[in-house]
Amino acid sequence: MAEIFVNMGELKVAAGDDVLITVGLGSCVGVALYDPENKVGGMAHIFLAASRDGKSTEQPGKFADTAIPALLEAVVRAGGRRSLLVAKIAGGANLFPKLSQASLNVGMQNVAAVKEHLAAHKLPLRGEDVGGSIGRKMILYVESGKVMVQSIGSEPREI
Amino acid sequence: MSGKERLTPMQLDLLRELGNIGAGNATSALSVMLQDRKLEMVVPEVAILSLPETTTLIGGPEALVAGIYIVISGDVDGHMAFMMPIDSAQELVQSILGVESVEFDEMGRSVLEEVGNIVVTSYLNALAEMTSLVLIPSVPGLAIDMAGAIWSSILAGAEILDDYITVLKTDFSSERKQIEGHILLIPGTTGFDRFFKILLETDR
Repeated sequence: MAEIFVNMGELKVAAGDDVLITVGLGSCVGVALYDPENKVGGMAHIFLAASRDGKSTEQPGKFADTAIPALLEAVVRAGGRRSLLVAKIAGGANLFPKLSQASLNVGMQNVAAVKEHLAAHKLPLRGEDVGGSIGRKMILYVESGKVMVQSIGSEPREI
Repeated sequence: MSGKERLTPMQLDLLRELGNIGAGNATSALSVMLQDRKLEMVVPEVAILSLPETTTLIGGPEALVAGIYIVISGDVDGHMAFMMPIDSAQELVQSILGVESVEFDEMGRSVLEEVGNIVVTSYLNALAEMTSLVLIPSVPGLAIDMAGAIWSSILAGAEILDDYITVLKTDFSSERKQIEGHILLIPGTTGFDRFFKILLETDR
């Protein structure tokens, strides 16, 4: 078993008994996309809703519009069946509600964009833990397809 | 502004100089508040990093920290953060209030917000004084959470679309009171050229 960490703006895939982890989700949205039958999954740590021109060559994982298609392609290339893929998402918080006018609530925009792009690619959303004003850690156990979300000061919860 | 290719060595030097002046003033404000002359400031660094790389600036992304975030507007735009490990934040509030222990209830949080506000505005005042530019800080926002969540939210607030991000970072620490933290400045996409222009003129 390997623990694979997905950093801010990255996307990674794993198979078998590997575990994909992303920490420090604030306004960012973590997306877990997996094929429960073939036990292949991927995770993206999405930073903003939209890239400047619909493409980010260096880091497709950074933006919802580039990350969802790139994650889908990566999971399929790793052996996932497109028709079996399901998604779960976490994050999209607003850690500085007092400044929400200044920062225009990036978290909510990120969640909306991720949902829009998942729907556009016909990827069913099976679970979510989004919003609020707390940071999150997201873990995908690829073998079981189990997705856990953790925040400081509360018990881990399955979504 | 945030592109790796767009900063000349001279501009990098100027940014470092800005960091020096701003952080110098911020640390002396903090020393006064703490009545601690042994507050040390590490020479500011200018980091130009990709988004995933920036997490190295703040230590472990899962660590519990206190982060104060302020948006800068006016002649120059930008984003500033003041981040401390949670035990440093506790120590800081305790020594300011002169109490043995502190909880981050409403009172503790507002003290911390105010400290962050003073530190950041001291930094900005030094820059404004030097350049005669108007720099307006927003109200301070405070979050006590995972370092990565706070940092990524601040970067997202800065809406960085470029592949590389410029960050001015200054570390400070106090031996006596075991307080440490970072002051971070993310120059905005517009307006920072004005800084460069004015600084280059005054240098001559």
